[in-house]
Amino acid sequence: MDQKSNQSEFKRDINIYFTIIALTALILGIHHLQLGTIGIALIVMVAITEAVILGYFFMHLMTKKKTIHFVLLLTVVVFLTLLFWPAWDVAYSPRTPSEFTQY
Amino acid sequence: MQETELVPYKVVPREDTGLYNAKFGIWLFLASEIMLFGSLFSAYILLRVGSFSWPVQSDFLNVPIGALNSVILLSSSIFFIRAWVALKADDIVKYKKFMWLVISFAVLFLCFKGVEYYQHFSHHEFPKTSVFLALYFLLTGLHALHIIGGIAVNIYYAGPGMYLRTQDKQWFINRVEVAGLYWHFVDVVWIFLFSTLYLL
Repeated sequence: MDQKSNQSEFKRDINIYFTIIALTALILGIHHLQLGTIGIALIVMVAITEAVILGYFFMHLMTKKKTIHFVLLLTVVVFLTLLFWPAWDVAYSPRTPSEFTQY
Repeated sequence: MQETELVPYKVVPREDTGLYNAKFGIWLFLASEIMLFGSLFSAYILLRVGSFSWPVQSDFLNVPIGALNSVILLSSSIFFIRAWVALKADDIVKYKKFMWLVISFAVLFLCFKGVEYYQHFSHHEFPKTSVFLALYFLLTGLHALHIIGGIAVNIYYAGPGMYLRTQDKQWFINRVEVAGLYWHFVDVVWIFLFSTLYLL
């Protein structure tokens, strides 16, 4: 029984591995198509999907306790707040071209 | 009195959190790591949004090597899982084999990263050259440091740290699981680094 569950777990892990590899290939494909803003959105979405799959299965988030979910949720909320607060300012503050960052 | 009684919840989960100490600790650590990398990603986004013009990043970076490094890190992640499963099954030979595969792949990742850095330096591309390159070297350099840290921990658990298993098997399994969580996190960070720095 244990052997069986081990084998099914192994198969599942391999499937997830190839799914993530396929998603990486998909990201490269989207990049190759040069879709502009849509391409950026798609690449970010696929990358987030990859990370979620990896976290859910490889980091066992599917079976983890509420404590971990709470810690992660809090982190994400704080991070997004800190990210978008200055982004709001950058987007809506009037600036002259000289105030833009020179790459 | 046994050591397990002196420090509680090393093996048995706490009633309130449902987690043993190390697992709760590593998740708090990973949360702080999310904030660390998150702040740098925020800096990247804000500098890019606030810039008058931005380079085509894939022209600067070696996308095939980046993609290959993604596959290498993902492979090391699955090897880690197999190592942990083997350890739980008491198959030490298999455990060690997979752990050394993880370490080898991590070293391979760093070698390819080194090749990329060498290419940049030989083209006189340094962090001071541009804002984008500064962010690229900062983010990938910090990630590489995390990989080096992971390699050190993995070598310890695959080699000299094996004696810990003789003290308490389940405790050792938990330690390796925690190291694995860190390793998968490093992998997740790379997925975002590859997407944002190489392809956007």
